[in-house]
Amino acid sequence: MTILSPSAAAGPLTVSGAPVPIAASSTLVNKLSVKPRLGQWSKVLIGGPNLGADESNAMAVLYPVPNGGQADAFVVQDEGGQNTIDLSQIYVYATIPGDTPMVEAFEYKTI
Amino acid sequence: MNRRELFQKAFGAGAAVVAASVLRGQSASFNGPAGGSRGSTLVTIVTGPFDTSSYPNGVRALTDTPQFATYVRIQAHPGQQGKIAIGNSAMASATGNVADSAFLELWPNWDGTLDNGRSDTWILSDPEWNNTINLADIYVWPEIAGETPVITAFQLA
Repeated sequence: MTILSPSAAAGPLTVSGAPVPIAASSTLVNKLSVKPRLGQWSKVLIGGPNLGADESNAMAVLYPVPNGGQADAFVVQDEGGQNTIDLSQIYVYATIPGDTPMVEAFEYKTI
Repeated sequence: MNRRELFQKAFGAGAAVVAASVLRGQSASFNGPAGGSRGSTLVTIVTGPFDTSSYPNGVRALTDTPQFATYVRIQAHPGQQGKIAIGNSAMASATGNVADSAFLELWPNWDGTLDNGRSDTWILSDPEWNNTINLADIYVWPEIAGETPVITAFQLA
């Protein structure tokens, strides 16, 4: 049977000074969201392999949420119900090295 | 109309009931319809403030036995003061800060003064409304022991 399962690539993503891909190798998922981690002060950039730390080629720029309130988020999901989003092609950058934006990803699996 | 179409028209409703009961009975390893199924009636299978306090580390899966939903909503409980971490099974065995093993955190809404009183909320739904979300794979941890996020899960039964 087919289930929508949390991806092993999900969790806090450490960004240490340059844009990093969410996964090192091709990892296809159905849903992806990236949010600044609550209490951290980084602005978070989302983009493709050509994402620049200066916001060039950014798909989304998320503001931090240091003191409460709903965090800004970048969310994309294949509405056709397929695993089509390649995490190795999505890059994340945090303006403060060492910050850890939260990555949520779900993939269809057959069990 | 051939015999098959006539049969479907006359007994369609009854056949749907039979199909649903077959799904429920096909495995002892999960409750309710099988993963990937899609019934015709939206039913609530988890609802209300969710207490994790009796579970190790205060980390609890949404259901103890696998059960497949099409829509899940987790909301920080208005008036409570801790963050809510949401993650996968890695959270159950986490040491140190459990939220470091989460994939998402909800900020508390302790007095309604931020975001026009809206509470931070996480929603996951299957885009084709199939029952594909295994509630036993999703774990919740309130930062403050005893706090109770508001959780709702729907299934098409």
